[in-house]
Amino acid sequence: MIRCVDIVKEFHTSSGVRRVLNGVNCTVQRGEKWGILGHNGAGKSTLLRIIGGVDLPTSGQVERDMSVSWPLAFSGAFQGSLSGLDNLRFIARIYDRDYGEMRRFVDDFAELGHHLREPVKTYSSGMRARLAFALSIAIEFECYLIDEVIMVGDARFSERCRRELFEKRQDRSLVIVSHSMDFIRDTCDHSMVLRDGKMTICASVQEGVDMYNNF
Amino acid sequence: MRQQSQWSNTLLSHFKLQYKVIHALILREIHTRYGRDNLGFLWVVGEPILFCAGVAILWTAIRPAREHGLAMTAIVVTGYVPLTMWRHCMGRAVKAYESNGSLLFHRQVTPFDIITARTFLEVIGTLMAGVLVMGSAIGLGYMKPPQDYGLLLLGLVYQSFFSFATALLTASVSEMSDLFEKIVTVISYLSLPFSGAFIMVAWLPLRYQWILMLSPMANNVEMIRGGQFGMGASVRYDLFYDTWMTALLLGLGIILTAGVRKHLEITG
Repeated sequence: MIRCVDIVKEFHTSSGVRRVLNGVNCTVQRGEKWGILGHNGAGKSTLLRIIGGVDLPTSGQVERDMSVSWPLAFSGAFQGSLSGLDNLRFIARIYDRDYGEMRRFVDDFAELGHHLREPVKTYSSGMRARLAFALSIAIEFECYLIDEVIMVGDARFSERCRRELFEKRQDRSLVIVSHSMDFIRDTCDHSMVLRDGKMTICASVQEGVDMYNNF
Repeated sequence: MRQQSQWSNTLLSHFKLQYKVIHALILREIHTRYGRDNLGFLWVVGEPILFCAGVAILWTAIRPAREHGLAMTAIVVTGYVPLTMWRHCMGRAVKAYESNGSLLFHRQVTPFDIITARTFLEVIGTLMAGVLVMGSAIGLGYMKPPQDYGLLLLGLVYQSFFSFATALLTASVSEMSDLFEKIVTVISYLSLPFSGAFIMVAWLPLRYQWILMLSPMANNVEMIRGGQFGMGASVRYDLFYDTWMTALLLGLGIILTAGVRKHLEITG
């Protein structure tokens, strides 16, 4: 279970303090698949980073009793000047995984070939997404935090993610932030809508989609 | 593949995890800084060697062979090794968290681990460089072997802890204040006279000696020189003061480091 209790997040900008999240409460149970809907700048990615422990909330707390992935998005989690392989090695070490096993899975899943030996900063965003997914799936988290933007594009890769994450690992929890109604409808079984710093938990995915469309 | 089992909550498992993280960080640091050509660690030692040996050769060449009755080369080496250690630890710590934001995407990596790994690498690198420079100087006859290895070692251990405390403080404060980040090089220059690297307490008039002895590093350098010269030099250090001061700075550094995450805006 992951529980967010009264999450408040403020950013210091040139025009003063801006409160992005204003007392967000939500709970994700084991195996649940949540879609978070909201307009650009509503604070979806910020919330995802707070759940993942990358950013700390200004006040409030996050309780986790399952292993939670880092937020899978275009940026973050990799050192650009290191090769994909060195990043893999580092991640295998800190998550206490077998390097060989992880390497085989990543080779197979991400199909980066010789690019794996090149610095991550030379990767296209699609390649980065593939590496991030491959690594996080190999670690076998109990909950995955996904920024939907990284799933658009390459149909072959989307299909593979679907198979590995949504079919083979149905018992895992997912928290996905997205603009795409279709994607949320296909993959999630719960939804919540973020607006003006407040979270509304919806009874069904469809209700969340309707609510989002009516803004 | 196995299920995630690393969040089991015994204290021992936390220490094991932290050890693994710091170990991984050290290896990663070697790779990022100097590339993958296995020259990494060589350069960790090579850089301080070039620095210490360069200065030692220069000073030996242009300055009188003895100062206050002590051999010049030995003075330079015993002063520059601790100075290099301290300055490198400090320099490496400036904005260390923001430039390593991608590490903090992984919850088991803490700011404390990042600084521990960096400091460890700098301290080991400088010590190995020190051993090599000293060994060559002794081999070439410019320097005598240390008279009291115990005292020398004690000074180096104290200096390592002082450098660690400085790194923790610098890393945290440079994230909290932009002004500090800008003036940190100025501070490190202006503090040179208080480092004790170029001066010994006994060279000062008696009534001003207390000023130099306020600096933990000056005390450490005195110990190192005491170990090098033995009875040949008159050294002054206050082990009691040095211990408490270093512990205080270390404690302050740890407290600031524990709270620094809320000041960070990580961009990955």
